[in-house]
Amino acid sequence: MDDLYLDNIDEFVNDQNKIVTYKWLSLTLGVHVNTAKQMLYHYLQQKRNESSGTPLHATYLVCGKCVENGSTCHKVSVVREDKLDAVKAKMDVTISVHVYSVQRAELKDSSPLYNTDYEAVKENLKNCNKYSAIHCAAAVPMSSAGLQRAQEMALVPPEEKEISKPGLNENTSATSKPSAKQPAGIMGMFASKNASKSQESSKEVKTEQKDDSSLVETSKSKTASKATPMSNFFGKSAQKKADEKPNKSIKEETDGSSTATAIMKQSQTSPKSKIDIKDEQSKVSSALKVESKDTRNKTKRPEVVDSDDEKMESQQKKRRRIKKPQPDSSDDEVVPDSPPVPNVQTPSPKKQVKREPVSHQEEISEVKRRKRRRVLKSHTFVDEEGSFVTEKGYVSESYSENEEEPEPNSQAKDSSSLKQSFGKREEEKKVKSQKKTSTANKPTKQASIMGFFQKK
Amino acid sequence: MATLTRQDLNFGQVAADILCEFLEVAIHLILYVREIYPSGIFQKRKKYNVPVQMSCHPELNQYIQDTLHCVKPLIEKNEAEKVVVVIMDKKHHPVERFVFEISQPPLLSISSETLLSHVEQLLRAMILKISVCDAVLDNNPSGCTFTVLVHTREAATRNMEKVQVIKDFPWIVADEQEVHMEEAKLIPLKTMTSDILKMQLYVEERTQKT
Repeated sequence: MDDLYLDNIDEFVNDQNKIVTYKWLSLTLGVHVNTAKQMLYHYLQQKRNESSGTPLHATYLVCGKCVENGSTCHKVSVVREDKLDAVKAKMDVTISVHVYSVQRAELKDSSPLYNTDYEAVKENLKNCNKYSAIHCAAAVPMSSAGLQRAQEMALVPPEEKEISKPGLNENTSATSKPSAKQPAGIMGMFASKNASKSQESSKEVKTEQKDDSSLVETSKSKTASKATPMSNFFGKSAQKKADEKPNKSIKEETDGSSTATAIMKQSQTSPKSKIDIKDEQSKVSSALKVESKDTRNKTKRPEVVDSDDEKMESQQKKRRRIKKPQPDSSDDEVVPDSPPVPNVQTPSPKKQVKREPVSHQEEISEVKRRKRRRVLKSHTFVDEEGSFVTEKGYVSESYSENEEEPEPNSQAKDSSSLKQSFGKREEEKKVKSQKKTSTANKPTKQASIMGFFQKK
Repeated sequence: MATLTRQDLNFGQVAADILCEFLEVAIHLILYVREIYPSGIFQKRKKYNVPVQMSCHPELNQYIQDTLHCVKPLIEKNEAEKVVVVIMDKKHHPVERFVFEISQPPLLSISSETLLSHVEQLLRAMILKISVCDAVLDNNPSGCTFTVLVHTREAATRNMEKVQVIKDFPWIVADEQEVHMEEAKLIPLKTMTSDILKMQLYVEERTQKT
């Protein structure tokens, strides 16, 4: 293989100051992802040996099995180089490690990684998995008739699924530890409910911290308020405030731990699962695919492995993202997305089947639809001591797909789009400023410094 | 975003809206990347379909919004030449200046259907560039603060002083000390050109920061 690619990568990284992820590289150079990974590795080796020039930073993708909360899980994480050894040591079995990206900048969070892949994928939307290692022969776009059917079916399950939630909530107290740094999320609930099943079923279920969803759960288990878990999801009750306090503390813990373990996360608001499909965990997904085939005997699943993988990958990424694609694909269903947890779905195999086409279809056609989703909301208030407190908690909120921001009538404060809030405030202020200009002649109550200049 | 079906739409307003939204995101991102404020106050939000870090602190957010609200009329009239985010050390000497040079093309027209998605793409690229700017910049000393300056064409600010767009949020002429930086290095970051907006982002950095 000629070494021109080394020069190419050098140009991208040093001259253009780009972040070179393996996926971006594979799409840019037109090579298979595994080749791209090797290219990056060789480039790093070469540069490190030279030990001169600008410092390079790299991120790695680590997959392995580890034991958390007493059960083994399959963990996939993107880690910074300095945390690589620590993360590898934590795992019982390291299944795969490869270079995820190379860049000059020391990244503070994972958003730029996502950003680079987004552009590359967007340009090659039709064939973005041309070089991917994930394949599924049965994954074909749905016909429009199938889309219609899936749409109708998608509207029916939500209520049923939400009712099943409280029953499952009660199981969290058994499994989740309040101070757990990686609290078992909703996935943990399902895993615990079917503890008799193979433990592999809970593997990616517990992958990254889904502490957003889990925060609600663990706090509930803490406060032992199982009585009205539904109200926690829907209502803005005082209980929510109480929940938010432990939420916040757990969140800070997990935030601290997440930076400590450098598990890079994508934001919860990252876009559609469409992009998730083209994800990097090729080995993981292929490994999981094998396992999923074993456990899939219980549920009927149209082999839309892509969406399975995408769900699996989506939860492997940021914990928060688990909530977004979930509602996207399953209408606020708090069901694990990964195939190896079919146990939960045995009670409702039909729903599962419906969800698959829904999720698949949604990737393809961004149909506008009203959904409920859980959104991280910030609630700013003044506490007893008179200090500002901002707490973050999850609130279920209805929204329409295909919109960047939630509906204007939503209770959104901070989490509504900037433009929206900006626009709203702008309107208010325009009105205000108009009033002001009309009363400019009258003396203002407060002597501002501008009055000093106006006297001339 | 206003609909683009009517011919008599004020394109200047649309462009100003887009730009002010972007500037808000960019300022938050600069504060995050340059560590002006502790990263704990930042929260991931979505803009242009990618995650961005926005602050949750209400007063900081209000300050930035008020600032941009006052800048918007200048942009609409194409009087704003540059919007500068100045980062100053404890002695109020600037150490870094993020300069957004703005201009509007003379013939403003929203003719193409893909215009907005194209603009979104360009803004996304700008955001990405800001995220990786720490590769080309030296670290700042601790205890830095920031401020926003607007360079206008001609004498547009005279109006601003007389009429307070937002009550109790006056704009004053900046000190020479804040405007000029000694021993400045220029580091270009990104340029974007589109039908409604032309923007250039570069950083002026002081050679010796501490």
